[in-house]
Amino acid sequence: MFSSLSRRRVIALVVLTCLLFITLDRNGNPVIDRVRSVVATVMRPLDTATEAITLPIERAWYGITNYDDLERDNEALRDQIEQLKGNDVEAVSAILEYRELLKVLQLTSKFTYDTVAAQVVGESPSNFQNTVEINVGSNRGVKVGMPVTDGAGLVGKITKVFPDRSIVRLITDPEYAISAQVLSDVNDPQNQPATTTTTVSPDGSEPSTSSTSTSTSTSTTTTTTTTIASPVTDPITGETIAPVTTVANVTTTTVVTEVVRETGLLEGQGGGKPLLLRFTDSTSAVTSVHVGAVVDTAGGTKSIAPQGIPIGVITRVVSRTGDSSAIVEVTPNASLRRLNFVTVVLFVANDAAPGF
Amino acid sequence: MRNFVVGPLLRLLPVGLLALSLQRVVFAHHPIHDVKLQFVLALVVAAGAGGGTDRGAIAGFVLGVLYDATGDTPFGVMALAYGVAGMTAGSLDRFTQDPQWWLAAIFATIGAAVGEAMIPLVEVVTGESGWITSELVWTVPIVAVAAGVLCPLLMPVGRWMMGVRRKKWKAMTE
Repeated sequence: MFSSLSRRRVIALVVLTCLLFITLDRNGNPVIDRVRSVVATVMRPLDTATEAITLPIERAWYGITNYDDLERDNEALRDQIEQLKGNDVEAVSAILEYRELLKVLQLTSKFTYDTVAAQVVGESPSNFQNTVEINVGSNRGVKVGMPVTDGAGLVGKITKVFPDRSIVRLITDPEYAISAQVLSDVNDPQNQPATTTTTVSPDGSEPSTSSTSTSTSTSTTTTTTTTIASPVTDPITGETIAPVTTVANVTTTTVVTEVVRETGLLEGQGGGKPLLLRFTDSTSAVTSVHVGAVVDTAGGTKSIAPQGIPIGVITRVVSRTGDSSAIVEVTPNASLRRLNFVTVVLFVANDAAPGF
Repeated sequence: MRNFVVGPLLRLLPVGLLALSLQRVVFAHHPIHDVKLQFVLALVVAAGAGGGTDRGAIAGFVLGVLYDATGDTPFGVMALAYGVAGMTAGSLDRFTQDPQWWLAAIFATIGAAVGEAMIPLVEVVTGESGWITSELVWTVPIVAVAAGVLCPLLMPVGRWMMGVRRKKWKAMTE
């Protein structure tokens, strides 16, 4: 080969073949898919053997070098578990209530879709891909585009499916995008900008003006109740006393919790970087989104995931000078670096969905 | 062609699969500063530094195809990037036929840097943008230096893989 072809020809052949492969794969080619499937089949026992050899060495090394760290982590995790136990009870009750409400309103959510449990069996070896491999495929009903979650939140979406395995593109990959929503309580003190409230007192005295961050939104209703007593006879004089009419003003104050739903497009930034949220309305980030707000999937007919799958929390909102929009960074709930067991939600995405 | 099939290709495939397995099982799980060291790329540039431009390109192409087949990138992206990496490292043979280990390591470092930097560039061409970020400033040098360090160890493997025998110089006798 090397003697029969000149160097330049070899190099040209290599480059042209690569370009041909790229073109064929971009247009979808069953032969290439078959090659991928065969290589994956060959790699599996090889990976298992390599793991069997290297894992004891790795563990011994970690045992020696990381023992103190592991002990500290263990303590911290035990504390965290205790705290989470309390939150879990509240969360379960909220979920049950939510499902009941969905039934009543006949809405769909992530809970109405079947799921398939899977284990992560590998991760991308490249620095330019945020993907993992899971051990379920088309044999279990998995299809391209389905969302993948773990106990904490959204993990990614299926991008390639083989009979008994699939590739999941993680939400941190720059190629990943999904419509997301931020549910913020306008009454939250963290979220409420300082407002000026004018209160008119009922007796008509001078209005008082106060600058305050209101924690509740209140509506005041004044009801006039008229009570007419029945005529009575005076026991001493025997005269009939006219009925007494009493007019009472009852003021009822109702506390209304207003939840603002801001939707936008959430995109990965690659590597260990947080996710980037771009709002449909560029002013939303400045006015109604705050650090700590929960971000979840927005759902909708064109979304690649059903509504309500938690994604993460907002960790940074940076306003840009001379621009009404802001940079909103979201840290994923799921521990994407330590994925083990995940769940594939059997939700068929629409082809026109963003990031599909 | 037959010589190539019974020679380098028969060695390239098993060695490549083994290297890929090490990459997936060991190196992918132990990043340094969030950068995954590229063992397969190190093997490619070592083969290039030991075998020359054309052999480096072929080693890069074959191992890159294997890499592509296990990943989610468009098929051919890694093959192209690694082919160019092997070719760059192999350009050493234009300067000397029997390089010292440190010279080979330098060319391997350059080749690995070119190969690693090419991946996001080729991905942009194929429509998968987003990886050309400031992180490349860290990723490329770390991967390249690691490949350079591994080069002296992997060069004998690379030479054997590509069917290259190291030249033995004999002193002229009167």
